[in-house]
Amino acid sequence: MLMTGQDQEQVIINELFKSHSRQRSALIPILQALQVGHGYISEFAMQYIADCLNIHAAEVYGLATFYHFVNTRPKGKFIIRLSRDMSSMMKGAKVVARQLENDLGIRFGETTPDGMFTLEWTSCIGMNYQAPAMMVNNEVFSNLTAPRVHRIIEDCRQEFSSHRPTVGNVSETYSNTTTYSSYKVNAALTKAVTMTPAAVIAELTASGLRGRGGAGFPTGMKWGLAAAAKGDRKYIVCNADEGEPGTFKDRIILGKHADMVFEAMTVAAYVVGSREGIVYLRYEYSHLRPHLDSVLTARRQANLLGDGILGRPGFDFDIRIHMGAGAYVCGEETALIESLEGRRGEPRNRPPYPAERGFNNCPTVVNNVETLASACCILDRGAKWFASMGTDRSKGFKLFSVSGDCSHPGVYELPWGITVDQLLDTVGGKGAKAVQVGGYTGQLVPARQFDRKIAYEDLGIGGSIIIYGQDRDMLQVAENYLEFFIEESCGQCTPCRDGNVKLLEGVRLLQSGKCSNRYLNDLVSLSETIQLTSKCGLGQASPNVVVALNTHFKEEILARPVLGN
Amino acid sequence: MPSETCIAEAGTVTVEPDVQMVTATIDGIALEVPSGTTILEAARTIGVHIPTLCHHEDLRPAGVCRICVVGVEGMRTLQTACTTPITQPITVSTNTKAVRTARRHIVDLMLANHYGDCYACKRNNNCELQALAKEYGVDFFRFGHPTEPKYPIDRTSSAIVRDMNKCVLCRRCVRTCNEVQGVGCLTVKDRSARSQVATFGDKPLSSVVCINCGQCINRCPTGALSELDQTDEVWAMLDDPTKHVVIQTAPSPRAAIGECFGQPAGTSMTYQLNTALKRMGFDAVFDTNHSADLTILEEGTELILRLHSALVKRDNAVALPQFTSCSPGWVKYVEHFYPEMIPNLSTAKSPQQMLGALLKTYYAEKNGIDPKDMVVVALMPCTAKKFECNRPEMCDSGFKDVDFGLTTREMAKMISESGIDLPNIPKSDFEMPFQDASGAGQIFGATGGVMEAALRTVIEMVTGQKVEKFFDRANIVPVRGIEGARMAEITITEVGPVPEILKHLVPDWEWLRGVTLKVGIAHGTVNARRVVEDIKAGGPFSECHFIEFMACPGGCLGGGGQPIPTNAEIRAKRAKAIYDLDEAYAVRKSHENPIVLQLYREFLTDGPCGHQSHHLLHTSYTPRGKFIS
Ligand SMILES: Cc1cc2nc3c(=O)[nH]c(=O)nc-3n(C[C@H](O)[C@H](O)[C@H](O)COP(=O)(O)O)c2cc1C
Ligand code: SF4
Ligand code: FES
Repeated sequence: MLMTGQDQEQVIINELFKSHSRQRSALIPILQALQVGHGYISEFAMQYIADCLNIHAAEVYGLATFYHFVNTRPKGKFIIRLSRDMSSMMKGAKVVARQLENDLGIRFGETTPDGMFTLEWTSCIGMNYQAPAMMVNNEVFSNLTAPRVHRIIEDCRQEFSSHRPTVGNVSETYSNTTTYSSYKVNAALTKAVTMTPAAVIAELTASGLRGRGGAGFPTGMKWGLAAAAKGDRKYIVCNADEGEPGTFKDRIILGKHADMVFEAMTVAAYVVGSREGIVYLRYEYSHLRPHLDSVLTARRQANLLGDGILGRPGFDFDIRIHMGAGAYVCGEETALIESLEGRRGEPRNRPPYPAERGFNNCPTVVNNVETLASACCILDRGAKWFASMGTDRSKGFKLFSVSGDCSHPGVYELPWGITVDQLLDTVGGKGAKAVQVGGYTGQLVPARQFDRKIAYEDLGIGGSIIIYGQDRDMLQVAENYLEFFIEESCGQCTPCRDGNVKLLEGVRLLQSGKCSNRYLNDLVSLSETIQLTSKCGLGQASPNVVVALNTHFKEEILARPVLGN
Repeated sequence: MPSETCIAEAGTVTVEPDVQMVTATIDGIALEVPSGTTILEAARTIGVHIPTLCHHEDLRPAGVCRICVVGVEGMRTLQTACTTPITQPITVSTNTKAVRTARRHIVDLMLANHYGDCYACKRNNNCELQALAKEYGVDFFRFGHPTEPKYPIDRTSSAIVRDMNKCVLCRRCVRTCNEVQGVGCLTVKDRSARSQVATFGDKPLSSVVCINCGQCINRCPTGALSELDQTDEVWAMLDDPTKHVVIQTAPSPRAAIGECFGQPAGTSMTYQLNTALKRMGFDAVFDTNHSADLTILEEGTELILRLHSALVKRDNAVALPQFTSCSPGWVKYVEHFYPEMIPNLSTAKSPQQMLGALLKTYYAEKNGIDPKDMVVVALMPCTAKKFECNRPEMCDSGFKDVDFGLTTREMAKMISESGIDLPNIPKSDFEMPFQDASGAGQIFGATGGVMEAALRTVIEMVTGQKVEKFFDRANIVPVRGIEGARMAEITITEVGPVPEILKHLVPDWEWLRGVTLKVGIAHGTVNARRVVEDIKAGGPFSECHFIEFMACPGGCLGGGGQPIPTNAEIRAKRAKAIYDLDEAYAVRKSHENPIVLQLYREFLTDGPCGHQSHHLLHTSYTPRGKFIS
């Protein structure tokens, strides 16, 4: 029998629904699975899937167009996405970009006429240590140079004609995660189950552990709130969306210490009373998936997941991995939850907070990968040991992802409270002009303030350090940041959506020496409005760089010669 | 006697009886509010005005425009008053430098992306963005102002025009379409500054699942959404001396048009409107209530026939419950989303279309007018009526039965253009033959009204007794109300003789003795959907015999062509105006409307659901489905 394209799609989708629930939360996984075989999601497919899920086709369309990694139009067999984070830019991403354009004969945003290659920019893919980096479909290639990308493209062509899969090429990232490396897996879990949930919470609280995802919320308190919240179902979510440009420490933890993350989730489940855990893994980390799956399987086999964990009747908990679909804002916990529920990743209004009402309106603990790993160490070695490190309000140690102009980029385990100077010493970044502490949403610290402390008391951070050498152009930095925030804004609130566009236009005026002092003041004032009125942390932090430029680099940004006439 | 089951109206807040009180201090004024009250609601009670834009009382809070931000002690950032509940003691300041600057900036940013010339906009003087710009002292375009449109205007729909150049992304339309109407035709696509309100696949409105209800227009703060304006076409007809231009007016616009002329909601303008329309040049003005009465007889008869088939002939194929069909938005909703339920729709046309067909036949013949020279205009609360009159099947008179469906807003504009001061002109009557109708036709404008009108007639026809015997002053209160979906039951304890007009259809009423008539009412398609789903699942509504469905919240009085703004309070006032008028009518039952009876004597001589009325007053539907290509 002859089948039309639509009939075929229907068959494939029906097949997919056999392994996915007919619930809205299955929407993104279904789209992703369909895309693997089909390349893109056709209008018919969107309508048919909507029908199966009993939602409106327009909702599927709204969702599909939200996420970068869902294609609503046919793209090339190989989708090349070059990371445009600042580290990549500093390490020659532009040269690589030109090589790609020349080799393929297309510009960014286009697909080759033979339908083989699509070329796109993408936000940071967590490879800053080995910048520049790019993804070819799900595979990551790092340390790119012009000759290397030329070869990669040739390989892709050959592999396609010989039906071999393309395999990425990532070299080892330097990391000194010593505490995690010396941890004996399951020490925390075996200990925790001998304690009452309240005692576990007390231990975490005493340790002073604060969330490593950026917001710094006390972890013990979060677990306590979720434990106290009423709800038949509760969820433990691990935030592995690591999208903050310049951050790659979660990738290292997941690669080397995945057991610790799953273990801490299991402890959280014990404390809170949850049966289901979800790891929200950013799409860019698809290459970690097989490893994570195998760790999960091993834990199930060892009775560390599943029913009756450690032989304790009633202690049932399992973890599944949910892939993101390319949206930095989905790292924000409420956007993440929206995304888990199969919606556009738009942050929610708070209150209620996830610990009260999160995924499916049930109490939900959302923790960063590193927070979870640290929780294991704390339960193993005790709150006292942890609290003996760091400062008054910032206890313990922390992983820092270091990139940019320094001789030893990588992931560093360091105690809280060190100064920027000390950090630069450690990583070989002496003589820098400025340091971005805490990723794009953090603070741009000028050289004269390098004595500032990295701690919640002063520079509280999620973990990314980007070092700018003396000859870096701060306006280019600001331009790059704002381009990122504009691209990654979910677009729901006015100040973030429209305000950042105005800031970027302003930065470009400054670059061309056409911004009046008065307008600069307007922009700074607008920056304050964006910080104060945006709904989520993205908008609230997006103008930081403009404020920093105005405060610390005013001479540099106003001293532009006017180009041409 | 009557009992009621309710499903709460979408968006209504259920206040728990033992809510805690919390203290709040707003701008130095201390007050006590029930825990959970938003800052916005609390501020309103003490006369502190906080600007809003994305907020709308009919919708769930979105918190996206950010114009309503206020300072809250202890919070680093400003908080949105529309979304922040007060659950513990709180100190709020709404008039600080940061708040004022933020409001200015947010308006500035919206203006920087809003292309549109206020002079040339339908919403001039009734635009929330314009009002905000004035209130917050916008004196220049700090962040620029577009000088060129970015998007083409979508004029493909016969009811609704979308001009995305004027959109400020408050998402009220999207929320209306999804939360209130459950149509899901509108969505937000893409992200960041590229995000946009869109239809599925960015297709033109005419080719997606839009039901033309126009509820999005009523909640749009700017001129981004509006009705397809046909006033110039109507003027051209009025200016053409060879045309005989008549107009019919529906009850809902009459109860609301005063709002466009500074009158408080709920001011009836029925008879001033007659004068105005005559002055504008309409050759005759008729009351749509007549065809509403006719609808009751046709639809009521159809129901009796269906019940007779089901209860007496035991015909399982007969589709019950019967659904009303006078709301064209609802009809298109069924065609798209529940085509399998089309057999349940009454085949009776809506009052607008029935009267159109009669005007171009009965009236034309009586007055010696060639129907080809006739133009029938309908003044309606409804944008979907524009689509309805363009349906190809609506030409039973041999011509387009209704040439133009004008909304209340369009008519207000024409009246203004004519220099008529509507509230202050003398009253005058409708023209014969469609002059004084009944109160039953009048209440068609409110949710539950069709059902009440139908019951008044059915009860009298079946029991042979006056309705007043069962319901005080013939007000069938159990079917009134604002719950989004509700049910009522009436047990027929006694039966009388079959009235003359139905004798040829049923021999007697004995088969109805002791039967409990179950009726349902739903307004707002999201509620309609719940009812249909309930029926399909075999729930309580599946036991209904007859269900009134209105696409718009509140019924026609909340129609998509009605004056802007709309909210529950305004709709309640319009409803009151409609019910008050009903009580003032001499005739309050459709079957007692003398003109309707005359019609059956003179013209529709084979009675309700007879051959002639089937030809002129009934129609068929098109299964559309929701898949589009
Ligand atoms: C725009 C934005 C992006 C974020 N991205 C991440 C992320 O990638 N990973 C993460 O753990 N937290 C991220 N967060 C913080 C989360 O909202 C949340 O605070 C965190 O996951 C809570 O976990 P923690 O308490 O363990 O830090 C982000 C926040 C914002 C506002
Ligand atoms: S601040 Fe930006 S990213 Fe956050 S909710 Fe608002 S528009 Fe979305
Ligand atoms: S009115 Fe409160 S955010 Fe729009």
